[in-house]
Parts: sequence; structure tokens; C-alpha cells
Amino acid sequence: MSVRANEVRVGDTLPVMNVEVTPTVVVAAAIATRDFMPVHHDRDYANAQGAPDIFMNILSDTGFCSRFLTDWGGPETMVTKLAIRLGVPVFPGTTLVYTGAVTAVTSGVGEALVDVAFQATTGLGEHLTGTATVSLPV
Amino acid sequence: MTGGDSQTLDDELQAFVGQPMRGGPSVAPDPVNQPMIRHWAAAFDDRNPVYTDPAAAAASRFGAIVAPPLMLQTWTMPTPVIEGIGERGGAPVASDGSGPLAALDRAGFVGTLATNSEYEILRPLRLGDVISAMTVIESISAPKQTRMGESRFVTWLTTYTDQDGAVVGRQRFRILKFAPPTASAPSDEEAGR
Repeated sequence: MSVRANEVRVGDTLPVMNVEVTPTVVVAAAIATRDFMPVHHDRDYANAQGAPDIFMNILSDTGFCSRFLTDWGGPETMVTKLAIRLGVPVFPGTTLVYTGAVTAVTSGVGEALVDVAFQATTGLGEHLTGTATVSLPV
Repeated sequence: MTGGDSQTLDDELQAFVGQPMRGGPSVAPDPVNQPMIRHWAAAFDDRNPVYTDPAAAAASRFGAIVAPPLMLQTWTMPTPVIEGIGERGGAPVASDGSGPLAALDRAGFVGTLATNSEYEILRPLRLGDVISAMTVIESISAPKQTRMGESRFVTWLTTYTDQDGAVVGRQRFRILKFAPPTASAPSDEEAGR
């Protein structure tokens, strides 16, 4: 069930989103975003690059951020801004945990613009931090 | 790498700042389409009906199916040539060797990691939109020590336009180019530094 725009307040937290990261999740998301770099699907290749396993691509991070925001904001959420900065990589066998909170609410014509600050962590630490602005219908 | 080589490389790299990548805009291989949207939504287990359910989309404020706004970069990703992609460091197609990433590859920085992605979305994309991307190099950093070893950050700004030339979004993207441990055998000089 999605949030009502006129009830959103600064400090509201978004529902936590957990992603159980398997090799299939990493590979399916990489290919769905048309990113064929071997480090995202070929473990031997990733090893040769100094990584212990394949790891999630940044376009997939963007995809999971999108879902995190619209699962909360509802189907009519329109993401207008997003900025993410990556930390530790995401390898299969971990759980990616998205958490976030509302930092600003601005009323517009027929919409509310809501700023959100969020992060995603894994067992290795902070994978990404980000900010977003979404338009919610009112 | 000697100091002289590094200075030469710096000069070569700084000449790319402000210049377009790939010599100009790249047009998406396919218009915005339902199969790619469905594939994307499935990969992220994103069940937002406005992406795939025409009736639900029609009843929404969008009025019809829209692509996930943050799918923007996917539309203009080049169709890859799979053969040799590993030898090209993951580059989807062969470079003509003229760009900054090729220059960094030649200098041994063949590894690539994305570090930042920033989007501004001006409108949701609809089925049939034909998207073009124009990418300009914004900055290339001096060498820095990162957890990947000696690295350089490359930042570019992409402006996405539709079939009418209207801007639909912008994206600032930053990658780290680094020298992977096994990518090339170091020279005696490099091994001794």
C-alpha cells in the first residue's frame, strides 16, 4: 500500500527493502540494463580483475533504487532526481538492505515534491548512499 | 610509470575535457518498447503496473504505459559485440582508440568501476520514443591511490533527447579506471617502484 502525498512528513521513514542477492539477481539485472561487462556475469573474469566474485552493476543499483522509491510512493510516483555514490561492492550471497527517510516536502500544483535520503548496506558495509526527489500526485 | 610518461598522459587526457565522447550523439538501438521494459521490471521484481499493464497505466496520471524513469541509461546502451568483450576490458564494442578511455587502457588503467550516477529526469518516456545520448567529458582526475590501487576518475555528462530533439533527462556519471593486478605484467621499473 502506497503513501498518501498529503500525509508525507519530513522524518518519515520508507519501508525497508531487502534484496537477497544471488548470482541470478546480479546477472539478470545486468543484462536487463544491457550491461554486458564480464565482471557482472563471469566470476573468473571478476577474479582476474581483483574481485572475489561477480558484482552488481551501477545500472542495477539505479533499478533497485527506483523500486525502493516507487514501492513506497506508489505506482504514480515520478522520480525526477536521483544521485547515488557507491561504496563497497555487492557480491552474491549477501542481503542488500535499503533504508531511507523523507528530508523535505514541497507542495506544487497537483503534486508534492518529496526529497528522500537513503542508503543500501550489505554484510560488507555501506554499498551506496543517495538522494532522490520524487513527485507524488495529490 | 615514469614521471615523464605521467605528464604526457595528463596532457593527452586533459585535451579530452569538454569534448564529446564517440564523436557525437548515439541513438538508441531500439525505440522505447514493452519487451525491454518488461525484462527490466522482472529483473528488479518491480511490480509497478504503469510499466506493463495498459489498463492500470491508462487509469493513472500517466495515461498510458511509461518506461521506468530511471531506466533512462539502458535505452542508449550499445548493442554489444560479445566476441572479444573480455579482451576489450568489458567495452561493448571495439573502440577506435581515439577516446580518453582507450588512452587510459593503453596506459594500463584497463579496469573500470562505476562510482557515481546522478540523474535529472524531465519527463517519463513512452512507448515509441527514440532516445539519443550526447556525452561530454566533464573531468579526468590526476592519479589517486584508491582501494583498487593507482586510479583515475573520469566524469562525463550525458544529455538525453527524444525524436523531436527535446531534452528528456541528464545524467552525470563517474567511473574509476584502475590497473588490475593481473591485467599486465609490470616492467622491471614498475615492479621496483
